[in-house]
Amino acid sequence: MTEKDYSTTDDQTLVRAAQKGDMTAFEELVARHRDKIYARAYSMVRNEEEAIDLSQEAWVKGWQRLAQFQGESGFGTWMTRIVINLCLDHLRKQKRQRSESIDAMDEESGGVERQMPVVTVNPTAGLERGELRQRIDRALGQLSHEHRTVLVLHEFEEMEYKEIARTMGCSIGTVMSRLFYARRKLAALLVDLKKDDLGMT
Amino acid sequence: MIDYDSQLKIQAYLDGELPEAEAQQVAKRLAQDQDAVLLLSELRNTRQAMVNGQAPMALPETREFFWSKIEREIGRQESPQPAPRRNSMLAAWRRMLVPAGAVAAVGLVCMLSLVSSPGPRMETALADSGAFTYRDYNSGATLVWLSYPAENEFADSEPAGTVQ
Repeated sequence: MTEKDYSTTDDQTLVRAAQKGDMTAFEELVARHRDKIYARAYSMVRNEEEAIDLSQEAWVKGWQRLAQFQGESGFGTWMTRIVINLCLDHLRKQKRQRSESIDAMDEESGGVERQMPVVTVNPTAGLERGELRQRIDRALGQLSHEHRTVLVLHEFEEMEYKEIARTMGCSIGTVMSRLFYARRKLAALLVDLKKDDLGMT
Repeated sequence: MIDYDSQLKIQAYLDGELPEAEAQQVAKRLAQDQDAVLLLSELRNTRQAMVNGQAPMALPETREFFWSKIEREIGRQESPQPAPRRNSMLAAWRRMLVPAGAVAAVGLVCMLSLVSSPGPRMETALADSGAFTYRDYNSGATLVWLSYPAENEFADSEPAGTVQ
């Protein structure tokens, strides 16, 4: 028996086939969306192995919960929500394992961002896209996971405050202050990185 | 100096999260306050840098290898694994039964000790049916009755010459 060729089939049809138990259709969905799911996991946990494991776990969960997918959003968006939730659980567990959280200290010493001088010159102006990506990546790596996550959900996933609050299990006020801190800190880090690259430090 | 609430409102204005009335207030402030304009500009630049700086990433595993792991994990989770479950049920029963058994044993011992606790009672000495003993264990008192005439009974049952 020859295997079905699903390479030209749309996502909706593949999901319906997979919901009936067609693993080949599901495999095609995995192949199409696996990079995006992995990228989201990596942007949150910043570790290649953990991101691979978490994205694999997300696909297994996706298969198990496929009957719940009603098509209100795209399949890729639905899968992204699954991997985001898994990453948040993973990061919470990691945080619990640490005896004293640096992130919590960061959060508690909040207010620093209110006093930071405003960055008046755009630190990323004139950068090539590759350079910009590198700097953003390095700056994101220096943020706590709560601040990084809120940025990722807002800027990359285009979630509203309300949705971020629901996803992260916190209030809208917390989302607003985390986002504010993260943006201001990121601006300052981008200035530092620009100085580093210009050999000004 | 912009207070913190106003800073957050400027951010919410940028993100389109403010209700119309509040958005108008922020717009009015921005028309008059240079610090507010600079803050808004910084926040906008950072947001733009994030959006443009999102690096496309590829999963560092081949399609076949990654799928084989997913397929194996799905198969593993779907295969029935009743044995550990039953064992855990047994263990749960045992965990419940052990303390229940201990409580029952303690209760039984208490009941037995109550039943067998010594109170006043009457005893008949089997060797001598003419003697009765009354014992009160609580007060430590013992009374013995001897019924007479015992000599006559002996005289009736045994020849006189055998009495010593």
